[in-house]
Amino acid sequence: MLRLKNIYKRLGDFNLKDINMEINEGEYFVILGPTGTGKTVVLEVIAGMYRPDRGEVCFKDENLHFFYPEQREIGFVYQDYALFPHLTVEKNIVFGLKIKSLPEATIQKKLYAMVEMLGIKHLLHRYPATLSGGEQQRTALARALITSPRILLLDEPLSALDPRSKQVFQEELKNIHQTLKTTTLHVTHDFNEAKFLADRLCVMHEGKVVLVGTPEEIFHQPKNNFVAEFVGLKNIAQ
Amino acid sequence: MKLNLNTNKIFTNLIAVFIVTLAGFILCSITTILIKGMPNFGSSLLSREIQFAIKLSFFTSVISTLMCIIFSIPVAYGMVRLNFPGKRLVNTILEIPMALPPIVAGVALLILFGNTAFGNFLSDAGLKFVFTVQGIIMAQFFVNVPYMLRIIKATVEDIDPRLEFVARTLGCNRMQSFFKVTLPLAKNGLLAGIVITWARAIGEFGAALMLAGATRLKTETLPVSLFLNMSTGDLELAMAAASILIIISLLSLFAFQYFGGTRPEQSRANII
Repeated sequence: MLRLKNIYKRLGDFNLKDINMEINEGEYFVILGPTGTGKTVVLEVIAGMYRPDRGEVCFKDENLHFFYPEQREIGFVYQDYALFPHLTVEKNIVFGLKIKSLPEATIQKKLYAMVEMLGIKHLLHRYPATLSGGEQQRTALARALITSPRILLLDEPLSALDPRSKQVFQEELKNIHQTLKTTTLHVTHDFNEAKFLADRLCVMHEGKVVLVGTPEEIFHQPKNNFVAEFVGLKNIAQ
Repeated sequence: MKLNLNTNKIFTNLIAVFIVTLAGFILCSITTILIKGMPNFGSSLLSREIQFAIKLSFFTSVISTLMCIIFSIPVAYGMVRLNFPGKRLVNTILEIPMALPPIVAGVALLILFGNTAFGNFLSDAGLKFVFTVQGIIMAQFFVNVPYMLRIIKATVEDIDPRLEFVARTLGCNRMQSFFKVTLPLAKNGLLAGIVITWARAIGEFGAALMLAGATRLKTETLPVSLFLNMSTGDLELAMAAASILIIISLLSLFAFQYFGGTRPEQSRANII
């Protein structure tokens, strides 16, 4: 279980205030909230880009505070994918395995299984700059998943895709999660995405968690004014 | 309406005149030397003195450029990626040699490596910088290292730190992420930095003159050769040295632009 206890983090003018979250093993957990509310920072604190000013990040009752990012075994996919522009798709994907100095045969086997699952076998020798948004997305996901991370962090992974690709990829994410059962934290500002993917979700607003629950609880019986308004506004917009 | 149109035309033409005047002025001054230097260029190249100067210039500039690379890469990376108290002050200190007149930098080095305890200690250890070839290298390094630093800092600043962070999540430690991600991505900036630093080292005169002196066939680099031959009125050799320096500078400028230095922008504003 991944547990965030009373996390405070100040970054310039921005503040994460007293973040508490519990994500069960194998769960698909979505953090939902408007832009600029600190969702990405939560992911970066979990992955170890920043140490929180106060509070603890624990995984299976182990405090990760003094763990470097490379010791945390966490996969991270950024909104704009952050692929290494100087490496081909293949080299991007096997980057983590090469660092671990795995035998070449194992690397090739894992690579083959991964690109087969994500349907990007034909892209292996291309460079990131020549790929479409969806192809970059799959490459970034393959790069993160191939190292078998204990937790997968997805930062608005669908926001840069056109509506059609988004629909397809959303379903793919769900299938991949059902196959691999990797504990996943997915950040988004899109209701439908959250509703479709989440086992459970939390709503964040101005650096705070305002509500945690199942999609059913959040969208049909919001117990919080902000959430009701947030959901309501979206409904009107629809 | 008509008046307005004319004003615009005059304004555009005026700008054109300024551009042509400045570019023409630069071009004329360079070509004059090349025209004067070219007739005896071949025979001058064969003279022992010019050959010595070419060899010494290449040797010293390559070594000092290597030293600039060795120091600039870690320092530039640290100045961009690390936060520490007094960073601003350190940054200013690192840029001082760029603001100093080279001749003052030379005097500073002469005094440091001259008769101080530090200078004597180095001298006893076999590292003599005063009036020696090592002095030329040290002067070139001191004057040029801030330029290299600036270029590499700008390059590292352009590299998204999240790429390094993603590499960390994939198992790299800090050093691995630097060597596997940041350094390869900084390649073009590094090459541009090397070219410009090397070209400046070839032309370094003031600081080297103070520290290493201007001794014929001993500390005679190309600019020193130009200076000595101008002083003695040996114009053929002087022009040959100047021509070589011009050719090196032009080639370096093209190389620098090729590796992603400054290119004239295609203006987005289509002024009519």
